[in-house]
Amino acid sequence: MSDASADLPEAAVRRLDSAAFSSGLTVPDFAACLELGLQPLALVQGFCVMSWRWYGAGSAYMRGMNPYAPGGQVQGAYAETYRCPHGFVSAEHRMWGQNLEQTWVESAWAQGYGTSYNRMLEEAASLGAHGVIGVADRVAELADTGTVEFHFLGTAVKVMDGPPPLGGVPWTTYLAGQRLTKSIEAGFMPVAVVAAMASVRVWAYCMTEYLMEGSRGWGGPTSPQQVEQVSKAHMASRQLARKHVREQLAGDTLHGARIDVVKRELAQGDEVIDCTLRGNRMRRFKDFDVVPPPRPTVRLG
Amino acid sequence: MTQPQDLPKDAAHRLEELEHGLFTSDLSVNEFLLVKEAGFHPLGFVMGSSIYHIGLQTRKWGESQELTKLTEAMYTARELAMNRMEEEATELGADGVVGVRLDVNYYEWGSDSAEFIAFGTAVKAENGQSYRNAQGKPFTSDLSGQDFWTLMQTGHVPQGLVMGTCVYHIAHRKLTQALGSVGQNVELPNFTQALYEARELAMTRMQDEAGQLNASGIVGVRLEEKSHQWGSHTIEFLALGTAVTKTTGEVTLPKPITIISLDN
Amino acid sequence: MTDIPAVDVRAEMLSGAKSLTVAAAPTKSRGVTSDLSIDEALLLHAAGWEPVDLVCGVSVVSVPMGVWNWGQGEITSAAAGHNAAVREASAELRNECVKVQGHGVVGVRVDVEVHPHHIDVELTGTAVRPVNQGAHPAVPASPFISDLSARDFTLLAGAGWMPVGLAFGASFVYAPRRSAGDTMRQKTQNIELTNFTEAMYAARESAMERMQQSALDVHGQGVVEVKVTEGPMHFARHAVGFTAWGTAVRLVADAHQFVQPQVILPLDDKIVAFEAQSLRGA
Repeated sequence: MSDASADLPEAAVRRLDSAAFSSGLTVPDFAACLELGLQPLALVQGFCVMSWRWYGAGSAYMRGMNPYAPGGQVQGAYAETYRCPHGFVSAEHRMWGQNLEQTWVESAWAQGYGTSYNRMLEEAASLGAHGVIGVADRVAELADTGTVEFHFLGTAVKVMDGPPPLGGVPWTTYLAGQRLTKSIEAGFMPVAVVAAMASVRVWAYCMTEYLMEGSRGWGGPTSPQQVEQVSKAHMASRQLARKHVREQLAGDTLHGARIDVVKRELAQGDEVIDCTLRGNRMRRFKDFDVVPPPRPTVRLG
Repeated sequence: MTQPQDLPKDAAHRLEELEHGLFTSDLSVNEFLLVKEAGFHPLGFVMGSSIYHIGLQTRKWGESQELTKLTEAMYTARELAMNRMEEEATELGADGVVGVRLDVNYYEWGSDSAEFIAFGTAVKAENGQSYRNAQGKPFTSDLSGQDFWTLMQTGHVPQGLVMGTCVYHIAHRKLTQALGSVGQNVELPNFTQALYEARELAMTRMQDEAGQLNASGIVGVRLEEKSHQWGSHTIEFLALGTAVTKTTGEVTLPKPITIISLDN
Repeated sequence: MTDIPAVDVRAEMLSGAKSLTVAAAPTKSRGVTSDLSIDEALLLHAAGWEPVDLVCGVSVVSVPMGVWNWGQGEITSAAAGHNAAVREASAELRNECVKVQGHGVVGVRVDVEVHPHHIDVELTGTAVRPVNQGAHPAVPASPFISDLSARDFTLLAGAGWMPVGLAFGASFVYAPRRSAGDTMRQKTQNIELTNFTEAMYAARESAMERMQQSALDVHGQGVVEVKVTEGPMHFARHAVGFTAWGTAVRLVADAHQFVQPQVILPLDDKIVAFEAQSLRGA
């Protein structure tokens, strides 16, 4: 990060050179920030626009992933095979069903997220910032261009009279204002915002397809029953997202996590479950101080 | 007291009435109390408006670019509304305007035109000191009464509502690019660059305004994205914030008490 | 008024910043994860509890084909499917909680989706345990589950009550039919459609009754924060669904502890908490 500003656009360099600070903090947060001894430097941002599509069964990445036969999974990734109990195979009806982790989708997401995050860090580092607070990230489809934009915004700060962090890499957090003050008081120092996405593809075996779609005449069960394959896929996507995030924690605490799940049906009996988990990675720098219990109040008027 | 330059007659008359001691404001009681606490007295509700015709500009289908004509229109129109509001405030002898809101209205009778309105409450310091900004005008800010009080406690005073805008056209992608099922999810550096530039331009312009006020910083920056009536590929990036200068820099806010509210 | 100990937050900030100037010592500890806000974490801690891990439970249960079609009375298999999905999802959540040695799950987010052929129940929350339990704390065989926020949990615990589990009830009915003759005759009349009233009344009652029963099953003494949803199913307008759920609670102290609130007069128009996304405007 020595030559941090090397690939920043001209407009950004000019803006960041300005003598006046800018901050995305509201006034109460600004006040809390000054109280903590944090000096706001500038609003910093980072972007990455990626082309985004849903991988069809014939696409390059799905080669070797055959919905009609088991095997071909990515080494070390989650995969489970479900055999159709009916032993009936045809062009429309497969013999096997699978749950499989789409590692290539996960890594594309991680690339977009990581790239835009690093660009925000570059802006911050070029200012000599120690940290970025009040981070707001967004992953959203851009107009109707078949693209997804990863965008980070935050306020770069310097700890007055404080030492720069290890390697000059600024720490980051979604928190600001009194929330941040309270975290510090309680002994938690923000390290970084962390996030991961887990993507599980569900190729239903025929019974599930029937259970999910109700359109096949197999004369299925007459009483409600748990659909094991789909339930497991759901659990797996959530477990994988937590695992991916945990791998970035190195023993630190994840705080204020948010979990979002998007289900998308690509075709009959072909579903994707995407689970995104994000939160604040915090390091304990002293023993937890118990704050005095707050006063219960009732508002008058 | 300076004479209003381009205010309508009715406005001048209304303001004259306000000079006789009556005040009007859209502040809530809470805000009123806090503005008083900060050492200011509300003078009157002030506003400014401008109906502006926004010219056409052709866009290249496959190219991302700034639409300078539209940028200019959005900018000038807001500036006009703000200036008129400032003039009303000046007329009242105000030191500043708090709680400024900037709105854009579209009317059915005016295609391609829009009304830009700015309104807020003019205030004056009670200690007789002038709080006008570096340009000798009343300061403007979109801060609420509560925020205004809090800001004063941090040893900063508002200088002006500053903004920067950039209307940008985002390229369409060729059908084959957008729909191809082969290949992978990869970064599109051109798009990244375009969005980067659009937002940076808006923010830089805002910062330049703050510079003209000799401000030491901008707080409460918001980055709004609106398509107005131009379709989803043309986006206005608007950066807004309140420029402030440091007076003492000493935070005199008392330590907050933690409470747990039993109200719903 | 008790005095608040003066904390030098600047000094704390500096020591926090210093802790990041060195590489963290390698640790085998698993690290805590939670979806609690710092306020909630602090409150929990003040009440003697701490978060352990983010936990989930999901169940997808099939609904036999054709149950939403034209029929009469209650759609029993839909209610049974709903019940099974809640039961299985709760079991998964409890499993995950036990695995991380939690004593219960607070702030459970409940997402229920009823589709024509399956009912999805998705639960997400944070497993918690009492502070200072030693190396091998006694973990209850069946941890509690509660959709109360950590804040509400703390308040409740302070008053001597504990959540014991989620109480759930659902019922689905077909809207009754009117004969063509009735429909014609009633066209110009103001008249109560008694069979409609009765059907909806009964369905609402049985959803509540089932919720109460499930609270009794976990030895609850009451249910707080009951949420009720009702309305026609979007995919079958003639079928109406009712659900009711809340947290079953039980008095564990000898007597209810009074909170004795202080009366305040706030000067804010609304409570402004930091919301990073407000950077993007309203």
